[in-house]
Amino acid sequence: MPSLHIILTTSFIITLVILISPVFTSILYKSLNPIWHTHHIKTAVKMAFFTSLLPLFLHVHTGTELTITNLHWMNIMTFDINTSIKLDHLSITFVPIALYVTWAILEFASWYMKSDPNINQFFKFLLIFLIAMVTLVTANNMFQLFIGWEGVGIMSFLLIGWWWARADANTAALQAVLYNRVGDVGLIFALGWMATNLNSWEMQQMFITAKSLDMNAPVIGLILAATGKSAQFGLHPWLPSAMEGPTPVSALLHSSTMVVAGIFLLVRLMPLMQDNPFALTTCLILGALTTLFTTICALTQNDIKKIIAFSTSSQLGLMMVTIGLNQPYLAFLHICTHAFFKAMLFLCSRVIIHALKNEQDIRKMGGLHYLIPTTTSCLTIGSLALMGTPFLAGFFSKDAIIEALNNSYLNAWALALTLLATSLTAAYSLRMIFFVYMNFPRFPALSPINENIKSITNPLKRLAWGTILAGLLMTCAVLPPKPPMLSMPPYIKLTALVITILGLTIALELALFTNKQRPYMPKQYFYFSTMLGYYPTIMHRFFPYTFLKLSQTIASMTIDQTSLEKTGPKTITSLNLSLATTTSNIQKGMNKTFLSLFFTTLMIIILLNYY
Amino acid sequence: MLPEQPVNMAGVVFRRWARALSNGNRSGISAFLLGNRAASGMTKDSLPGSYPKTPEERAAAAKKYNIRVEDYEPYPDRGEGFGDYPKLPERSQSERDPWYQWDHPDLRRNWGEPMHWDFDAYIRNRVDTSPSPVSWSSMSKQLFGFIGFMLLMFYLGEKFPSYQPVAPKQYPYNDLYLERGGDPDKQPEEVKHYEI
Repeated sequence: MPSLHIILTTSFIITLVILISPVFTSILYKSLNPIWHTHHIKTAVKMAFFTSLLPLFLHVHTGTELTITNLHWMNIMTFDINTSIKLDHLSITFVPIALYVTWAILEFASWYMKSDPNINQFFKFLLIFLIAMVTLVTANNMFQLFIGWEGVGIMSFLLIGWWWARADANTAALQAVLYNRVGDVGLIFALGWMATNLNSWEMQQMFITAKSLDMNAPVIGLILAATGKSAQFGLHPWLPSAMEGPTPVSALLHSSTMVVAGIFLLVRLMPLMQDNPFALTTCLILGALTTLFTTICALTQNDIKKIIAFSTSSQLGLMMVTIGLNQPYLAFLHICTHAFFKAMLFLCSRVIIHALKNEQDIRKMGGLHYLIPTTTSCLTIGSLALMGTPFLAGFFSKDAIIEALNNSYLNAWALALTLLATSLTAAYSLRMIFFVYMNFPRFPALSPINENIKSITNPLKRLAWGTILAGLLMTCAVLPPKPPMLSMPPYIKLTALVITILGLTIALELALFTNKQRPYMPKQYFYFSTMLGYYPTIMHRFFPYTFLKLSQTIASMTIDQTSLEKTGPKTITSLNLSLATTTSNIQKGMNKTFLSLFFTTLMIIILLNYY
Repeated sequence: MLPEQPVNMAGVVFRRWARALSNGNRSGISAFLLGNRAASGMTKDSLPGSYPKTPEERAAAAKKYNIRVEDYEPYPDRGEGFGDYPKLPERSQSERDPWYQWDHPDLRRNWGEPMHWDFDAYIRNRVDTSPSPVSWSSMSKQLFGFIGFMLLMFYLGEKFPSYQPVAPKQYPYNDLYLERGGDPDKQPEEVKHYEI
């Protein structure tokens, strides 16, 4: 088919133009129009999604991939920075998925944020975030990627702190920014190293010139960046705290798109890492630790949004493990399938919370199965997909990852932790379902339970279709670049299924018999899980306290004391004083003793000399 | 009708300017020159003073800081420059009652309340000193013990990795011919599953 590249380029540029245009129209006529957000932004995202399907179908049918270099932006000698868009499998697949999920979330948000006076600004923030995310995903050079990276970080801050008058939301937004910043240090270090050693920020040149160099240093920087952005262990507390933001923000940013940016960065720059065993081992260990730790934390949470947040963190750990196995395609597949069911879980949780008059504690829910059937069905489908139930979206990615795990030569403890985490995923998913809509209601009778609103059911249904079909479509449409292990013993093949069912069964048993016994004093490991491994408590109290106190003491006291007193007058005084005291103390006033000793010594010397 | 007098515009402007200077609350050099001051703002009496040595000074300092004399405790005089500023309990704003009707609800503080020396460290966005169900030492031990245990196990996991076998085991010394009781005089046959 001739001129495929022109069709691909044009349709993608049209997608971008459709996305960016509401930002400009918002400047042109100020959004006094109360339905501006729906008319402009939601429609724009919907149209952009349909337009972005054309590159996707072209890519799937013909395998076309291309790089568009538009503009030579700047250069320092031979170091060029251009605006270039890379339309390869990763970006062509991710952009329609991100747009689809965003469309569903925006439609939901038009109901949820209806009473907010700044709803137009909210939608504009979400749109700017989406544009930054698309910039990140389609970037062919590190500079453009960094622009998108910072963009999503800042929009995350603005959106988490949307209800800025709430101190907890401010704290959460600050946490997000600070933890992301620590990760950004790694990214900037990697950028600097690449600029000085590889003389380019263009992906193609970097991959070629990096073949002969020792890439340990920049790769550690990239892993640090992914740790910060994708909430890996060590820089993870911001993700559960980010649940302070409105649910559309949690659904879009902190489950589907922004948090996967770190993993996406590593997938994009996999050619730099794939021959570096140190980097791969680091990713594996970090991912395995993250996935287990956050799953443990999710087991005892009582806030439904926190459970889903920790679930996101755990799945991100799993994606990191996949990168550590040198399987970037599987990690990307999991990114795409995870977006659907996680966004759906968040939207379901919001409907439930709203139906129970802003009750987020799962201990005060229950029996909703007959009251909000669509929502609970979607919650079931989402949880099943999360657990890796055969032939839903999560199965194709998660099962493939576990198979790759079992068949690889890897750290045995990482394998054990990941399998344990998979089992516990089923456990906390069942716990959530059990408390939320099984059994009998535990909420007041006069709750405004209503899901009979098109803006709720249509997005949920669309995401449910995506959860059911996306994995199948993606696996059937595209051949994996690395051949997977196709023959293995039955016990290896069935590992994922068996441990999931094991976790599910144990959780069900525990749920059924613990709700009939008397409550008891919690044990130490319960506290470990509820207080999130004590990590936020220790890190958020010790370090800020030490640094703030130290800096205050240095700034207001120590410098003055040192320069005015200790280096001059007081030190001289004290030194002199100690010398004088010592000297005078030695003199105990025993003059007769001193005199007799003196004469005795004199006599001895004279006698010795004489003789 | 009065005859029109020629008006000196510069004089009018100057007079207006002089009148403005001499009136009102002006800050900076004008206030310094003319001695005009507003009634609000910090007065010399309300600024912190030197370390109180006598009980009368303590009482005066307590009154200045709006604290009861029994509660007033200055920082020890070790040359750090605290003066008579009160030493308030090291408790953050998050520990204060969230349901009480504070004058400043976001700061959980009432008007006129003495501010802690490190109040900026104790706002709700920063250090939280609220009591935890588990003691600090126990928390630290558990967290760092967990991390240490994980690192140790990962190290062991690197030593003993997990993998699927791809070929039968190949033993040295002609497939351990002699150890398995083979005849030392006969030539054993080659058993090789793979070549390195």
